[in-house]
Amino acid sequence: MTSQPRYAQLAPFASARAHLLVSDHPHLADLVFAPGHGVADFAERWIVVSHALVMPKPFGGPGEQQFRSPSHLLALLRHRLAAETMGLRLYAVGSEPFIWDAARIGHEAGMGREEMQLYACGRPERRVSCVHCRTVTPHVTTTLVTCDGCGVTLTVRDHFSRMHNTWMGVQCDAEVPGELPAIEDLSA
Amino acid sequence: MMDGQTLMLVVAGTTSVAPGLRRVHLLAADGARLPPAAAGAHITVSLPTSSLSGRLRNSYTLVTADPERGYELIVRRADRSRGGSQHIHEALSIGDVIEATVPHNLFALHSQAKKHLLIGGGIGVTPLLAFLARLRETKALFELHQIASPAETGVFTALLAPAAGERIHVHAGRAGLDLPALLAAQPLGTHVYVCGPAGLMDGVDTCAAALGWPASHVHREDFGAAGGEPFKLTLARSGIALDVAGDQTMLEAIEAAGVDTPSLCRGGACGVCMLPVLDGEPEHRDHFLSPAERAAGCHIMPCVSRSRSATLVLDI
Repeated sequence: MTSQPRYAQLAPFASARAHLLVSDHPHLADLVFAPGHGVADFAERWIVVSHALVMPKPFGGPGEQQFRSPSHLLALLRHRLAAETMGLRLYAVGSEPFIWDAARIGHEAGMGREEMQLYACGRPERRVSCVHCRTVTPHVTTTLVTCDGCGVTLTVRDHFSRMHNTWMGVQCDAEVPGELPAIEDLSA
Repeated sequence: MMDGQTLMLVVAGTTSVAPGLRRVHLLAADGARLPPAAAGAHITVSLPTSSLSGRLRNSYTLVTADPERGYELIVRRADRSRGGSQHIHEALSIGDVIEATVPHNLFALHSQAKKHLLIGGGIGVTPLLAFLARLRETKALFELHQIASPAETGVFTALLAPAAGERIHVHAGRAGLDLPALLAAQPLGTHVYVCGPAGLMDGVDTCAAALGWPASHVHREDFGAAGGEPFKLTLARSGIALDVAGDQTMLEAIEAAGVDTPSLCRGGACGVCMLPVLDGEPEHRDHFLSPAERAAGCHIMPCVSRSRSATLVLDI
């Protein structure tokens, strides 16, 4: 059983009053955008840059704003969407945990799937939820991982929860303790 | 043929709300519980009429729907009545039994909406009254704008009975409502529901689209378009040729000719009555077919659509 999200390259919605693109990647590669589109199609861009020097303004208008961390960006996104009116479209691009965090904030602000686009790029990184102790282990890049909570070795299954923004982790050696398959990189 | 089960309803009372507006209270003829219905549902009632050979079927929104206390309708006496509203206003009396479909809902409140914006024009107030009761009950965030003729603002204000602090506005005429400004000011997650004349509903559609509202957030309730030019209709498979009068719908003409065809909302919304077109140029008035399907001209909703060509041939 797999329930892996699949992502379409970003293209601006034709009928929108305003476009806001958020990303935790400082540089967006061309492959993020559908053919014929580019970063200039998205008037307002919020980007995480580790050495951002200027304080971003959540109601700053068109142009690029830089944020020091994803959490800072997402906090101001929540603030911004609470004051937004209908007609805005949200685009989230970057690591998978980040884009689904942004999608959740959009959803909580009342935006539907038809008002958002997501695109995951970069090295695969998963948040893994342990089905045994419910601890979420972040930054997982391999097919096997030790649970941060109960310490068992989890198989990272290809089963994603939009609601929790996590992948399912199930104890790997429950049948024969200690018998583990070879560990692989998720990007392989 | 009406789709699904039919109900036999007895008129338990009628009251005049205002000149030309009549409230009808219906109960199950056998005293049983009626099927429940969510706010925005309608029933299609079958009424006797003098002008046509058969019976006339009209859809009316349920203003209240309670399995035990019954259903309530508010019916406006139409200036160009085909006999339905005239019958309800002049002939319908307590104890009369009428046949109706079970309630169907093609205009429901969206459960995920952060805010509900209700816009009504004239008698389009009826689903709004049902919504209002539900939104008050669930304490949901809403705003209501009703457009009425200057002479009727008092009637509609009394019907809506705004409580203190509620955002309910009755405007005298359409000029009183600044639609672009209203739609531009709505927070994310708003759903708009409009019921009234086609011009008002088209205005909301167009204005919302221009402001970037996704179509999924715009809901409209169609009463069905009024008549038009008479035309000839050929039912190829049945081998029947008939005339559709100017004040008659194609579906009524087909039913009057004794051909059984499924139908449900009779307002161009549900798509149940769709028929294949063999020849002729349809004049589409429904809200079911996509622009591409309309352009193809292969199907038609006989409940509201008509013909641009003098003759239309259907595969039925």
